Amino acid sequence: MSETLRNRLFLAIALLLAALYLFPLYWMVVTSLKTGSAMFATPPSFWPSEPQWQTYAYVWESRAVGRYLWNSLVIALGAVVLVTALGTGCAYVLARYRNVWIDIGLFLILMLQVLPASLMVTPIFVGFSQFGLLATPRLAVILAIAAKAMPFFVVLVRSTFMSVPAELEEAGLVDGNSRVGAFLFIVLPLARNGILVSAILIFMQAFGEFVYSKSMIQAAELQPASVGLNSFMGPNTNEWNNIMAFAAMYVGPILALFVLLQRRIVSGLTSGALK
Amino acid sequence: MKTMFSSLRDGRGFDVGLVAFPMGFLFLLSGLPLLYNVVMSVQEVDMFSLGSFARPFVGLKNYATLFSQPETWPILKNTAIFVVASIAGQFLIGFGLALFFWNEFPGASWLRGLFLVSWVMPGLVVGAIWNWILSGDFGVLNYVLRSVGIISGNIFWRSDPNFALWAVIIANIWLGISFNMILLSVGLSSIPKDLYEAAELDGAGAWARFRTITLPMMRATIGAVVSLGLIFTLQQFDLFAAITSGGPNNASNVAQYWAWDLSFRQYDFAQGATISVIMIVFVMIASVIYVRSTRQEVRG
Repeated sequence: MSETLRNRLFLAIALLLAALYLFPLYWMVVTSLKTGSAMFATPPSFWPSEPQWQTYAYVWESRAVGRYLWNSLVIALGAVVLVTALGTGCAYVLARYRNVWIDIGLFLILMLQVLPASLMVTPIFVGFSQFGLLATPRLAVILAIAAKAMPFFVVLVRSTFMSVPAELEEAGLVDGNSRVGAFLFIVLPLARNGILVSAILIFMQAFGEFVYSKSMIQAAELQPASVGLNSFMGPNTNEWNNIMAFAAMYVGPILALFVLLQRRIVSGLTSGALK
Repeated sequence: MKTMFSSLRDGRGFDVGLVAFPMGFLFLLSGLPLLYNVVMSVQEVDMFSLGSFARPFVGLKNYATLFSQPETWPILKNTAIFVVASIAGQFLIGFGLALFFWNEFPGASWLRGLFLVSWVMPGLVVGAIWNWILSGDFGVLNYVLRSVGIISGNIFWRSDPNFALWAVIIANIWLGISFNMILLSVGLSSIPKDLYEAAELDGAGAWARFRTITLPMMRATIGAVVSLGLIFTLQQFDLFAAITSGGPNNASNVAQYWAWDLSFRQYDFAQGATISVIMIVFVMIASVIYVRSTRQEVRG
């Protein structure tokens, strides 16, 4: 078998596998463009013959998608800012030193990373209600998400800082920088990309967060899109084209971000999780 | 005062300061809730005592009540099935894909990256899509299975007690393929290629090479991926909320969903906390295994 033939065969199989894997996403878009009757046709059509683009405008208006997405954005940005502000310095120190305290700190952080949100939400909810934090529910959710996401961020960013040579920082200190100066003007700029990718990953997670928001935010005007989508799906719903349009509008920005930054996200994820 | 300031700016204080704030934050928002969870599990908590800290101490009564309920063991069994089946499915498919994309061909790394897409999608969106795909009368999965002749009548994935749990497992496998495949790909790419060349010269077939080189070299990675799978699977909540809500009649309920359901649907916070404590112990054990299998990497 010649080299080109082999390559083409592999490429064909790979495309087939990718198509199979991505079918749920395709089905979401196709369903969102179908009419109410085409949606329940047997056999189902795999191509929208008369795409109903107005479904999107209708759902956007009637389900207040803009408001839900805005709340998701507020929550996600708040969590990212908090996590980045607190986690970056922590990751730097954990990367710079090597002693038993650092090992203990890392171990604690790894343990906190694995606590399931649906189990932690009970004590967090009761505690927050006792301290009156539930009066500002979006802030409460931001705090809870930040605590959940920070360990992951620290682990990812720590591996970035480890790849910044310590000699550069020492040279900066010899040249008369203070520790703060060396950190801000030498180390941080070199680690910028890793921090950015990790922040984007945290943003994507927080943008889709559900458990905390569902449990802590009662007012519909403050709920994020995940809760909005959930309340849209009743047990006996038949509005699947509208629901899929909602889902498509929700996931669209994330998919765009993912496609734009795919290479960096993949390398960022893999370096943090295992290396 | 002046020495303290200069230490913060230029000495040990700088490091301590950088670590103290995040650690304090994590202690307040993860450590304390963890302890509070244990405290609540030995207290009597109802809607009236929710706001006060001094609640009646009841010892292990909540644990006794929990295990005397008829649904407890079926739900724990569901949790075990969910975990084992999800991990097995994710791992086998993920490993298969990782091995396939390990072959070098144009576009391989780009196409492989596409498989990460489920990792970044909101869980509720994944749940909504699979809820519709698995729909009984009009679901596309039933249609496909019918047309290739695997089933003759429609399966009511979400409402049939025999299939409800499997509906969530299918969605969870799809969701988990991504990280299994990516992490296993990283492990595969770190195996030196000349090992295979040497084995091939010695006349080892493809299966022998896989069994004697790939699997042993991948042992640490596989351990890490499987224990990460366990951790992620025990965190899975959104799919249950979006596909079956634990129903019908708890047929697809698992411990992590049940804990939430007891607290926030039935307002039985003490029982919710009790299950949380038990499950958190399990997750902690899994994460110790995970940390041990990646210890070399963590220490750098």
